Amino acid sequence: MNALVLPNRRDEDWKYSDLRNAVDADAVVRAPTAVWLVAKAQGDLDIGDLPKPVPFGAHGAMAPVAVSLAKAGQFVRVPTGESATLELDLTEGGHGRAVIAVEDGASLTLVEKSSRSEFTNIAVEFFIGKNARLTHLRVVPHNDAVRVVDYAITVATGGIYRAHLSDFGSKLSRTELHISLEGDGAEAHLSGVSVLNGSHADVTTHVTHASGKTLSKQLFKYVAAGHARGVYQGKVTVAQGANGSDSRQTAKGLLLEDRAEIDLKPELEIFADDVKCAHGAAVGDLDAESLFYLKSRGIPENEARALLMRAFLGDAVEQIENEDQRNAVWQMVDAALEKVL
Amino acid sequence: MLEIENLHAAVDGKEILKGLTLNVGAGEVHAIMGPNGSGKSTLSYVLAGRDGYEITGGSITYKGEDLTALSPDQRAAKGVFLAMQYPVEIPGVTTLTFLKTALNAQRRARGEKEVDAVGVLRLVREKAAAMKVSEEMLKRALNVGFSGGEKKRLEILQMSLFQPALAILDETDSGLDIDALKLVAEGVNALRSPDRAMLVITHYQRLLNYIAPDRVHVLSAGRIIKEGGKELAHELEAKGYEQIIKDAA
Repeated sequence: MNALVLPNRRDEDWKYSDLRNAVDADAVVRAPTAVWLVAKAQGDLDIGDLPKPVPFGAHGAMAPVAVSLAKAGQFVRVPTGESATLELDLTEGGHGRAVIAVEDGASLTLVEKSSRSEFTNIAVEFFIGKNARLTHLRVVPHNDAVRVVDYAITVATGGIYRAHLSDFGSKLSRTELHISLEGDGAEAHLSGVSVLNGSHADVTTHVTHASGKTLSKQLFKYVAAGHARGVYQGKVTVAQGANGSDSRQTAKGLLLEDRAEIDLKPELEIFADDVKCAHGAAVGDLDAESLFYLKSRGIPENEARALLMRAFLGDAVEQIENEDQRNAVWQMVDAALEKVL
Repeated sequence: MLEIENLHAAVDGKEILKGLTLNVGAGEVHAIMGPNGSGKSTLSYVLAGRDGYEITGGSITYKGEDLTALSPDQRAAKGVFLAMQYPVEIPGVTTLTFLKTALNAQRRARGEKEVDAVGVLRLVREKAAAMKVSEEMLKRALNVGFSGGEKKRLEILQMSLFQPALAILDETDSGLDIDALKLVAEGVNALRSPDRAMLVITHYQRLLNYIAPDRVHVLSAGRIIKEGGKELAHELEAKGYEQIIKDAA
């Protein structure tokens, strides 16, 4: 591993997130095995060590590094037809592995809290069975860490994966989702917000519609101030024969200062017929006319700005179905907005 | 209430108002009429304090205070209200949330107690009925998907909610059919009061059939060129701006 070359700006996929520049390769090699904590588990669940051999799906560049250097990992299984709630946390950073299987007809709500201040590089597999459902919430508060998390997700016929990813930035924060909709009617609903004040957050997704009548929806919103960099790279592939598939991608950014940067890169690859695909990306500033309107009604500048930014982020936060979780994210959003006003 | 003295104002370095003088007393309704490009909207934005409207000369005194020294939100809290010609659509902010935020921001600035959600709803409902603004509209995002008439009705609803001392109505009649025009005029007339001044800015005499002004001023090329009673509006309608401007020259 002495020759480990970290992904960097020369790699198309890592152009906006230069890992080599953010962390020393030796430090990555020396990083320990991450330690998982099951903070909460409710319902019918199998929790244990990773099975052997450990399955490994389609991933990005850092997942193989996690796989080869992590000495242990977390395994969770929700048996057929059962439903459960799980909260996972990390008590120590480093290279980590997790495999979560939601069997046919089962459902799992997974809340991930990962706020280690040391380097983390996690590779996760999700298996979502027929008509199974995984609701995934990952909210990462702001810190100065270098963190990479990479999910490989397969969704069988009629299965639904629903994820909300809110990232308040770090020195370098990279989240990769590689999703394969493998059976007819499988769905993936992704949303996320990032309010960045001088920090970095990157969401890179690759959704493959491998089967017919599959649905994917993505909605990501960024607010960037200071030397922040918000990145969304979203690739959607509709494979040959995946007819009748529907894919929608929206990514929008609000740039509050000239030195901030938001890079939005939606991409489409279609090999099937009769598909509906739409993508949109836009970066702008707060609308001066709206701001004046609110101020002319007596709302002070900062309050008006916060109101408009909240409105901008609103539809992405509102994707969180659980009210308590949604309110918790709103609180973090409000606290982060206060710092960028 | 409002004293404008020899006001000069520029937008993008181009002078639009060129020595405008106007006094509006408490309890009075004044109409400002003028052709396109005469400076009507510039005057309304200057009074509300919009960025980019630079005052290059003269003064604006409101209740004895220099209005130009105040930010737009401070002006609103002190009782200045501008009903806009083109109310802005703001997706993601519900109309009711907006009304509550604005009302309480003004109250807070005046050192008054804020009104809770229930209190705001009660107040808004009372005003909304008169302006035929439905509960459903209040739940929708501010002005999003509203018709031209609905937007103007919401402006007047805000005016009756905020109870300003100085109300400026910028082309409130534009884009309204006759029923909507009557409704809006009734809303405005209901707010006429001895301690409130109103400035009705319009291109056409039509609105003034329903809101009878105490004084009418004709604005042309950034200055008031003629003043009179409400009969001046009829004269304008009969002769047209061109003739009146020629007569005044």
